[in-house]
Amino acid sequence: MLARVANNLFWMGRYIERAEHIARYMNVNYFSSLDAPNQLSQSRQFVLRSMLFMVGDPVPDDSIKLEEESVLYDIGLNPEKFYSILSSIKAARENANSSRDLISTELYESLNKFYHFVVNYPTDTFVKTNLYDFTVNVTEMIAVLRGKIRGTLLHDEVYAIIMMGVNIERAIQITRIINTKYNDALLAKGSYGDTFAHSFEWTTLLKCAESYDMMRRLYKKSPTSTSTLEFLLLNGRCPRSFMNCINQVYKHILEIDKKVEYSKHSTAFMVGKIRSEFEFKQIEEIQEDIQGNLNMILNKMFKISENMEKEFFHY
Amino acid sequence: MGTAIDKTIFSSYVRKEGLFDEVFQSDGEVKSVYQKLLDLYGSRTIEDYVSLNNKAKSSFFNQGITFQVYGDKQSQEKIFPFDLFPRIIDSAEWETIEKGAIQRSLALNHFLWDVYHDKKIIKDNIVPIELLSSSPNYLHQMMDVDPPSKVYNHISGTDIIKHSDGDYYVLEDNIRCPSGVSYVICNRTALKRALFGVFNHYQTYTVTDYAENLLNLLESVKPPGVDAPVCVVITPGMFNSAYYEHSYLAKAMGVELVEGRDLFVENDFVYMKTTQGPVRVDVVYRRIDDLFIDPMEFHPDSTLGVPGLFAAYKKGNVTLANAPGTGVADDKAIYTYVPDIIKYYLGEEPILKNVHTYHCSRPDELKYVLENIKDLVIKPVDEAGGYGISIGNKLTKEEIEKVKAVVKANPRKYVAQPIMSLSVHPTYIDQKESFEQRHVDLRTFTVLGHDQQFVLKGGLTRVALKEGNLIVNSSQGGGSKDTWVLKQ
Repeated sequence: MLARVANNLFWMGRYIERAEHIARYMNVNYFSSLDAPNQLSQSRQFVLRSMLFMVGDPVPDDSIKLEEESVLYDIGLNPEKFYSILSSIKAARENANSSRDLISTELYESLNKFYHFVVNYPTDTFVKTNLYDFTVNVTEMIAVLRGKIRGTLLHDEVYAIIMMGVNIERAIQITRIINTKYNDALLAKGSYGDTFAHSFEWTTLLKCAESYDMMRRLYKKSPTSTSTLEFLLLNGRCPRSFMNCINQVYKHILEIDKKVEYSKHSTAFMVGKIRSEFEFKQIEEIQEDIQGNLNMILNKMFKISENMEKEFFHY
Repeated sequence: MGTAIDKTIFSSYVRKEGLFDEVFQSDGEVKSVYQKLLDLYGSRTIEDYVSLNNKAKSSFFNQGITFQVYGDKQSQEKIFPFDLFPRIIDSAEWETIEKGAIQRSLALNHFLWDVYHDKKIIKDNIVPIELLSSSPNYLHQMMDVDPPSKVYNHISGTDIIKHSDGDYYVLEDNIRCPSGVSYVICNRTALKRALFGVFNHYQTYTVTDYAENLLNLLESVKPPGVDAPVCVVITPGMFNSAYYEHSYLAKAMGVELVEGRDLFVENDFVYMKTTQGPVRVDVVYRRIDDLFIDPMEFHPDSTLGVPGLFAAYKKGNVTLANAPGTGVADDKAIYTYVPDIIKYYLGEEPILKNVHTYHCSRPDELKYVLENIKDLVIKPVDEAGGYGISIGNKLTKEEIEKVKAVVKANPRKYVAQPIMSLSVHPTYIDQKESFEQRHVDLRTFTVLGHDQQFVLKGGLTRVALKEGNLIVNSSQGGGSKDTWVLKQ
């Protein structure tokens, strides 16, 4: 596969995945805040701040009063904001355009249709009445795209590159979401026992990761800080967990790099190392310094992505 | 006209005197081959048809077959106009077209070999030397270069019209980088999506086998000594107006779509940069113009090409399709000699007719042209895309004087032809919500390989959407139709 095209496909995967997390984050936070058990979690300002924090545009000053419609517009449809859902879908399509010959017609057509849906979405309707419809549509169309990636492409190097992009982005987004909700939980505490551990925000976090039901099935108890973090960081069977993402990344990098012995500067080596580290990690170790550990994960994922550029996309 | 179609989509169809209608005879009766189709379409109401038309449009939109229009704020995407009423060519007529297209392509290929080697045709006084020496498309770099399998014009697009006498005439040959074949396939897809039922009543040849045949023939002209050739399509990039076609062809052939920056040349071999390191490339289907393929040999400021590509080509280490320098054989001045070229190399009579052409470079013919401009079409010899064409009977007196002056100033640059009346075909006109007669032509696609040829059974029927307009190019507001070649 051409190095330039590999780069495009990698980023197509990343942007598709990114758009989904942002859409779901908006949806879950906005709507679960409407009937949240404590006042802070119910506050619209609190929710809007949380959204901006998650997309990487944190509000620096507590005294700033946010305008709901403009925040929703910025994150959803503002073409000027690099983090908007619209920008991600645009970028995903542009990347697909330049590698159109390698992906299936079915995948391209779905992505293209999706793009037209997003760019033609009426702004006013979105910010006033259709936040729910729009974000649900986005998450569902992305599920379709994932299905087309898995179901219509040859599972070869092209697929591996796209899936690397998808899983690296998922690992990053999940970690960002955990980070944001961790900060929210510090502010919006629960009402009994260890108030941080019993914050309502852990439930919201699980819903943001589409993992609430499965978490309940496994733990059979209301989520706490420990069980939620364990599930989302270390449970390899949870498809949204960091552990699963890094396992997937590892699996796919071996399809691209088939060497028997890896140089310590190779992407495969870097991925393998962090994977092994997390396979034998306990949640208690992470809890010693949650913030520090989340930052460490993010930095490692950024490094892996950078390394891929050097190793495979250099042209 | 029959009563069934009176109240429906053909109810306001007007046949103009003197135009050759491909669907209706001069007495108003439907030609037999179109009868069934007309029954099927004619039973629909306009409303029905509008919704079908929108369906077809969204099919193009969703397939991403669009071009950009740059406006004030945001660039907009538009689709190429597509007409849902297909054109039918029966098998007997098609046989003539196919044989004629192959004959022309083969003859032009011989001609190219000759003009870049011994120039026998010049020495024998068939084609005047001035046509080569004054042609900007003659590449002296190609002198004595032997392309693999001696093929120059691997891919030809031949523009054919049906004149009011009912015969097919060739208007021009396109053997540089002819485009449009992807629209043939998209038109078929769109029509199938919107009106699949109509295909039950006609036995139509598929058009989806183009890429397969193209790859086959490209592989057959691989450089000597190569076993399993690696073919690529090279494109100027995603902002080129034909990018969709480039990506379609690469995908349909299952080969890489590369840009100049993806390739490099080392020791006169061509490689592409992949995630697994360099991979050798043997056959390049180039969709970049001659002068841009190699900055070391041609335009030094071209960033689209690959430095050293031409040297690798001259060494015989890579095949370029089409070969550089083919432009010398498809300009409008050479066009007039094609019948002689066919006779000279193949010893055959031309199967497809040529439109009579006056060369402004010849004093007596220039005189005739200047005196009869109102009955002629004046064309620059080396412009593509329908630019610079003047149609005599559409010009005002002042415009005629202007054209005269321009032609006199540079006679070599112009040829003139009698105004050919392109046949007309019922075409749905959005603004008027009805079918009207519009002029059409046909571009066929011929592929030459090592001792084998292929003509796509179908082709691109282009429609001039403006009433009375004879210029069908998409850059001049033309649309297109699906084209059916019927089996026996």
